[in-house]
Amino acid sequence: MIESVALQSATGLFDGGFKLIPALTLASMLVLFLGVGWFFRVASVDDMWVAGRSIGSIENGMAIAANWMSVAAYLGVASLVAFLGYFGLAYVVGWTTGYFVLLIFMAAQFRRFGKYTAPDFVGDRYYSDLGRAIAATTTLLIAFVYIIAQGNGLGLMAQYIFGVSYEVGVVLLMTITIGYVALSGMLGTTKNMTLQYVILIGAFLLGLYATGWTQGWSTVLPFLEYGSQSTEIATEIDRQFTEPFQDASYYHWVALCVSLIAGTCGLPHVLVRFYTADNERNARWGTVWGLFFTLLLFLGTTAYAAYGTLLYQANVGPYTEMTGTESDTLVVLTTHLAGLPDWLVGIVAAGAVAAGLATTAGLFISASSAAAHDIYTNLYKEDATAREQMIVGRLTILGLGAVVTYLALNPPALIAEVVGMSFALAGTVLFPVFFLGLWWEDATREGAIAGMFVGLFFGFGSIINEILPQYVDMFGGEVISTTFATIVPATSSSLIGAPAVMLTIVVVSQFTEDPPEDVKRLVRQCHSPMPMETMQSAEDVATDGGTPEEE
Amino acid sequence: MSDDTSTETDRRDSLETDGGRDVDYLGAKIHMFKPATPFMRDHLKVIWGLFAVWMLFTFGPVTATWLATDFMTSTQVLGFQLHYFLTAIGSPVGALVLCAVYAWQRDQLDAQYDITHETETEAEAGQAVAADGGERE
Repeated sequence: MIESVALQSATGLFDGGFKLIPALTLASMLVLFLGVGWFFRVASVDDMWVAGRSIGSIENGMAIAANWMSVAAYLGVASLVAFLGYFGLAYVVGWTTGYFVLLIFMAAQFRRFGKYTAPDFVGDRYYSDLGRAIAATTTLLIAFVYIIAQGNGLGLMAQYIFGVSYEVGVVLLMTITIGYVALSGMLGTTKNMTLQYVILIGAFLLGLYATGWTQGWSTVLPFLEYGSQSTEIATEIDRQFTEPFQDASYYHWVALCVSLIAGTCGLPHVLVRFYTADNERNARWGTVWGLFFTLLLFLGTTAYAAYGTLLYQANVGPYTEMTGTESDTLVVLTTHLAGLPDWLVGIVAAGAVAAGLATTAGLFISASSAAAHDIYTNLYKEDATAREQMIVGRLTILGLGAVVTYLALNPPALIAEVVGMSFALAGTVLFPVFFLGLWWEDATREGAIAGMFVGLFFGFGSIINEILPQYVDMFGGEVISTTFATIVPATSSSLIGAPAVMLTIVVVSQFTEDPPEDVKRLVRQCHSPMPMETMQSAEDVATDGGTPEEE
Repeated sequence: MSDDTSTETDRRDSLETDGGRDVDYLGAKIHMFKPATPFMRDHLKVIWGLFAVWMLFTFGPVTATWLATDFMTSTQVLGFQLHYFLTAIGSPVGALVLCAVYAWQRDQLDAQYDITHETETEAEAGQAVAADGGERE
């Protein structure tokens, strides 16, 4: 009651008005994306999925960052930091420091492995089509959960910009995303991602700087200048803002952080970016650039949280009474409450759309390649033509798009929380398989398959445990098992899950037959310092110069 | 760090002769705790060293906050409470620095083992990839 009155009278954010300049900004942005996608449209499989392995490090870094920074980073993290205080920082730390683990343990080795998709890695490394199928299914599940959150954020932004209802907004923007991914494939989206990064970071920083200036809070480096504001909130308004372990225990903080780090290393749509690098060195420096570009946003996000909270407190009411929707739009809400003109607020909102589009596009690509390449071609029809694969891939995008659009109409949790779940799923199921696969040549097929099942139990089980009751009346809306949810929360299943999976793999591998010699050579090739050709994969080299398998 | 630079020169001398090229990399076992080639050994040394620092940067602030809550929340840096500053800014920036250090050290290692990514593309006759394999060094 109080919430809805506050919303209408004070923020005016969702008053249903159509805003011309923001709408034009968004429209021209979308036309630009579609134009770029059309210009770089592709027909060959290499181009569709790995952009001809031709992308340099800075461009790849921007693409990594854009791919990374979804609506969850753009809108969701500020929301959680404002909402959950110090606990929300676990998202900031997990989503940034994870790059390092990715860099030292996976990036270059993955590049050397040189296949198309993450399930491909599992299928080839563990010489098992069942393993490939489980990994491909997991990839689809991750994309599925992840895209729901993106649809949620896109809908909220469309609601602000066009003054349409939330539902219409979701459908509208999802349709546009699906359209351009299907047209342009990976090469187009890499070019688009660079562009999207520039747009989203520009919009984000514009809002942050403008807010800081007009309120007299910051000048040139808002990332470091909101200290007195955040301390002011904590000491004068509500200790909860920075109080450590107020909303969650130390255990939950670490569990969440570890899950997001492991998820960073297991997310198929991010890993595939290393395949697009033109060589290993660029894969490494691309990661460094990627983190730098990501930090520009993540450091700003905590500043937004502090500014937004203060403005909310001053203009609307106690910030602790903020609704979920308000907090999910906090970045845009902040610029609005700071009294900035509509066009500027609109640009910030359009930036969020760019963030959502970039990530959703990457996810659709990884989902479609999992379906077309890993499931259809490798399991169902060995001799599928490139054309057939493209058709299956595009149909997957359409089908998946329809289902997630429907689910995004009624999202199960806050944006960043939903994304956290998909990270935890990747971190629990895929990360241990990748990690041991690259760093321990004796990991066997049986070990990996058993491990992935254990991973699905923890990763997907924890999501079912918490989310299913919201849709099915049988459980009265509460979690199915409270104990399980406390020890293995849906957003944080990797702290328990990933070690359990690793242990399973190691133990089962001890009792099963060693991997074949050619697989071991494949792993060795990933670590060899010997140079490789741009288009070569570890398999080409490890099989004694044998002709590469025709993909 | 200092240990690394002091051994670097003699390591280079001993390896200059073979540049790592005489090692049969496809014959050496991959086990992350038992590196079988000099290259793996050097590489893992860098990896584990930086990983330890990373653990400290990532989980240090939150653990310190948990252990010494009063000290961390009452001390101020640049207007921030110390725990907030170290977690929200220290950890992420620390990760960036560590990433750059790793990429740089890996470049050093590449130089030591004669790995040039330029020749990787240019040396392959008849490959039309030289044009995009540009390294800016």
